[in-house]
Amino acid sequence: MEVLTALSVGIMMAVGVYQILRRNLIRSAIGLMLVANAVNLFVIYCGAYRGDVPAYVDVAGARSDPLPQALVLTAIVIGMGGFAFVLAMIYVFCVRYGTGDMDKVDRLKH
Amino acid sequence: MSFFHPLIPLVCCALGAAIAAAHGLTPINRLVPTRIYGWVVAAFPMAAFISLVGMADQLFQGQMKAIVFQQPWIPGLATDEGSGISFSIYLDGLSILFALLITGIGVLVTVYTGYYFSGTKTAWRFATYMCLFMVSMLGVVVAGDLILLFVFWEATSITSFLLIGYKGESEAARRGAFKSLFITGGGGIALLVGLLMISMITGTFSLGEVLTQGDVIQASPLYPWLLALVVLGCITKSAQVPFHTWLPDGMTAPTPASAYLHSATMVKAGIYLLARLHPSLGDSDLWFWSLTSIGAVTMVTGAWLGVRQTDLKALLAYSTVSQLGALVMLIGQKADIAFKALAVGILAHALYKSALFMLAGIVDHETGTRDLRKLGGLRAKMPRTAIVAMVAGLSMAGLPPMFGFLAKETMLAMVAHPSLPDVLVFLLSSAAVVAGALIFCQAAILVLGTFFGSSRDQETFDHAHDAPWGMLLAPLLPALLSLLIIIPVSTWPVELLGAAAQSVYGEKVKIDLSLWHGLNTALLLSIIAVSIGTTLFLARRRFIALQHRLDPGPVCNALYRGSILGIDGSSWLVTRVQNGYLRMYLLIMFVGLGIMVLVAGLPPLPTRLPPLRLDDGWVLVRVVAIALATAAAVSTVLLKRDLYAILALGASGLAVAVLFLLIPAPDVALVMIVVDILMLVILVLALVRFPKPQREGADELDYQETWLGKWRDGLVSAGVGLATALAMLFVLVTRPDPAGLGEIAWERESRVTDFFFAAAKPLTGAADVVGAILIDFRATDTYLEIMVFALAGAGVYTLLRFASPAAGDDATDAAPADLQANRGPGASFWPVAESPLTRLLALLILPLSLMLALAHVLFGHDQPGDGFTAGVVASLAVAFWYIILGYEGVHRTLPWLRPMNFVGGGLSLGIVVAIMGAIFNQNAFSPVNFALMLGITTPYGISLSTGLMFEVAIFLAVLGGATLVIDTLGHPRDRDTESDRQATLLPVLEARGDVTSPLEDEDEDDSHAASVARED
Repeated sequence: MEVLTALSVGIMMAVGVYQILRRNLIRSAIGLMLVANAVNLFVIYCGAYRGDVPAYVDVAGARSDPLPQALVLTAIVIGMGGFAFVLAMIYVFCVRYGTGDMDKVDRLKH
Repeated sequence: MSFFHPLIPLVCCALGAAIAAAHGLTPINRLVPTRIYGWVVAAFPMAAFISLVGMADQLFQGQMKAIVFQQPWIPGLATDEGSGISFSIYLDGLSILFALLITGIGVLVTVYTGYYFSGTKTAWRFATYMCLFMVSMLGVVVAGDLILLFVFWEATSITSFLLIGYKGESEAARRGAFKSLFITGGGGIALLVGLLMISMITGTFSLGEVLTQGDVIQASPLYPWLLALVVLGCITKSAQVPFHTWLPDGMTAPTPASAYLHSATMVKAGIYLLARLHPSLGDSDLWFWSLTSIGAVTMVTGAWLGVRQTDLKALLAYSTVSQLGALVMLIGQKADIAFKALAVGILAHALYKSALFMLAGIVDHETGTRDLRKLGGLRAKMPRTAIVAMVAGLSMAGLPPMFGFLAKETMLAMVAHPSLPDVLVFLLSSAAVVAGALIFCQAAILVLGTFFGSSRDQETFDHAHDAPWGMLLAPLLPALLSLLIIIPVSTWPVELLGAAAQSVYGEKVKIDLSLWHGLNTALLLSIIAVSIGTTLFLARRRFIALQHRLDPGPVCNALYRGSILGIDGSSWLVTRVQNGYLRMYLLIMFVGLGIMVLVAGLPPLPTRLPPLRLDDGWVLVRVVAIALATAAAVSTVLLKRDLYAILALGASGLAVAVLFLLIPAPDVALVMIVVDILMLVILVLALVRFPKPQREGADELDYQETWLGKWRDGLVSAGVGLATALAMLFVLVTRPDPAGLGEIAWERESRVTDFFFAAAKPLTGAADVVGAILIDFRATDTYLEIMVFALAGAGVYTLLRFASPAAGDDATDAAPADLQANRGPGASFWPVAESPLTRLLALLILPLSLMLALAHVLFGHDQPGDGFTAGVVASLAVAFWYIILGYEGVHRTLPWLRPMNFVGGGLSLGIVVAIMGAIFNQNAFSPVNFALMLGITTPYGISLSTGLMFEVAIFLAVLGGATLVIDTLGHPRDRDTESDRQATLLPVLEARGDVTSPLEDEDEDDSHAASVARED
């Protein structure tokens, strides 16, 4: 199971990076989200315990590690904010440069 | 002596700079003429000079070796056991000699500057640079810390650059300025590395300590390297061959700067530093040979090249190069007389050379030229100037009874010293005699050629008139001093030079300033030199012609030009990598990251894996979720249309939420689910706003990419993925396993988690530890994150409202067809078809979701869910309303929906929570339980505390941020603008049959919505 999980996170990361490197800016945005998902999974699996029950005070059994959960929780919400911002930026790019092709966005200094 | 006394000179000069700059203020500029203002500014270096004289007195009388001031500056940057970088001052004999020269000549030059720029209004800029330079140069010679010294050192390079390039409208000035900065700045970098090596070896930055640790430094294997670097820094600054070329080119500076920086002070910074470090770096064979050879070659080269110059200042510049070479050569020696010669030489040269430079400036000023081919016979027109020039020229020529004579004699005594090997005595003596003869010849050309003989240009001659006394005073004083210093009226000069020589040599050096030492080798050599010099002067035309015939061309300049060309050429290489394609940058970053992870952080792979647990009953779900997440991610690549790829992304996100649930992490899973949906909504909303040709073009782009590019990117991403997977595997198998289920080589331990479990209930009253961490343990972090989220919303708002072309940007005044396409989906997405069912759904979903949100906020501390989930859930409902009712509809029916107010309210409430915690618990954000304080029991386990308030704050901020994004995306302003444009374009479009009517009603929107649906 560990191998499977690791492989899955790795593949998601790889796909995300591949998408980020596309010329199509929308694909880059998708890639960004995939990378964010992979990283969130990674962080949450970094938790110290392999839990059987949620991290509550008054439950019995092996509890999951709450710290990475708290970190990932805020990261997810912020990720959405950042994603919306990136989209807005891509939109402005597309309208200004008349293209969604990253290789044609070469007038950043103007 | 007061503690801050050593700072006074620096402070005085800095004040001088401020006062000089004040002349730039219009009222002062109008009121006080530049000439008078020079005197005012000069008062500040004068004060510095006087305070330095006082310190020198103390130094001569007292027993201490140096006056030291120390103040920690960057104590954190300490080497292992050292004291860190400090702002410290170290004043000993050598520093005092230089500091007196800098401030003394500084006073004269400042006065002279006032006269030189008399009548102009903008000279304050020049005077300010000069004072700033004075501060820097003074800093170099008094700094007691290696890093401080370097900072001042660089400051002299920069101020010198500004002064050389003062007449920036002339290309020669710009080139000269750049050249000097390039060469001295490059040397500065070498020097920095050298100084850092010294501090690495000695473990301190303090100059005083470094000076006592010569043995340690010379025993180090780094010694040759650091010596080379330090010497490189010094010889570039002091214009030694082959770096001397910047000095003659630097003569484009206004003459006061040349007189000050490029004869008396800055070019001596290298001399100063070599002399300063002599106790710790010197006395080795390497030191001896390198400095002796560099110095001797420079001495002869400068003297040789100077003779044929026709520009007064260029001639002086080359003679300066020659003198600097002589000084470098002297520092390389081992006998004590060398250091006497050094001290005497520094003083003598500074005196006569600054005087001569200022005289050249006067000639230039009063005749309009400094070309020797046009000058001559000026004695008749400028008698006072001529007399001063005679005195200074005698000193330069090294004739008695001048101080320059003494300097030359002492140097000749050194090169003929019995401690040197015979061959070297011969070589050095010949070099010194040749240089002496050439310098004599230069002095003669300079003085006699300018003031005697007959005029070579009648116009110049008629134009000439004598300088005012005030201006003449500046060269007069140093020239007179060259004459008077040898008269033993005071022991002061002897003590000063003795102290300076002693600081360099380490032991007492006998100094006497009497001219007559009996008939010795030095005198003999001197006589030879003068005879040759006289001959050369008399036959100067033939001699210069001979020089021109022997000239190998500008070898050293070619070196400089070559290195500049080399740098230009290498920019080709850089632009191959920095090619402006953003993807390429990303690619390189990922490759670097992958290499770092794979090489540096490669974890030890487990030999045995923990056994597969099939008994937890969730294996199947887990496998399916993993497969779904992965497959959906992969299919975003395979799906050609962006919309499908986006849907696949959403599926992948939901599967990830399931994986979170299996951690088990219910709070995270909840947030993930709602965020994933909201994100999809936002993405789709944003996508339909994209101009249609671009969306379609984007779909095509996939096919334009080459196979090579795809494979390259694929390989890189595979590498990154592999690194991630390996790290993940390592992390997973090393988890602490209290049940002892698997055998692993190494286990991590958790230090904070147990604390959170133990402290959550008693400290925060929350049973949900994740919630407790969010709203209490890491509350500041959470607060900052909602702030970031709100800012992202504001960013979207700003970008779409103000940076998009609708806000008056002409970047996309594109073709009408483009506009027409743009209008389609973007204009008609809101409102979409409004059926009774959707309307009912919308009406139901908002109150429902708000209740859900309320539940999350109220019970989040004990149950799954929290303010984040609540905010996103409410935002989803709002997004639904926007889609169903449209922008105007939402604003009509929900007048309370003001995103900015939500954001502001949430963030303010967060501050209130922080303040309450600070007031009641002396700890910002720490929970205050009001129910407990007031003695109320709340029903259903609702906690009446600041924790609840913080959840509300999070809810409001997230709702505000998200609705701000949705509201912006739904804003019809673009549509309005476009209809306006279409109104103007209408005739054209109608003629082409592209459009039916710009005045759309609801029905037409329906049809557009249908066309959107078909498209996607």
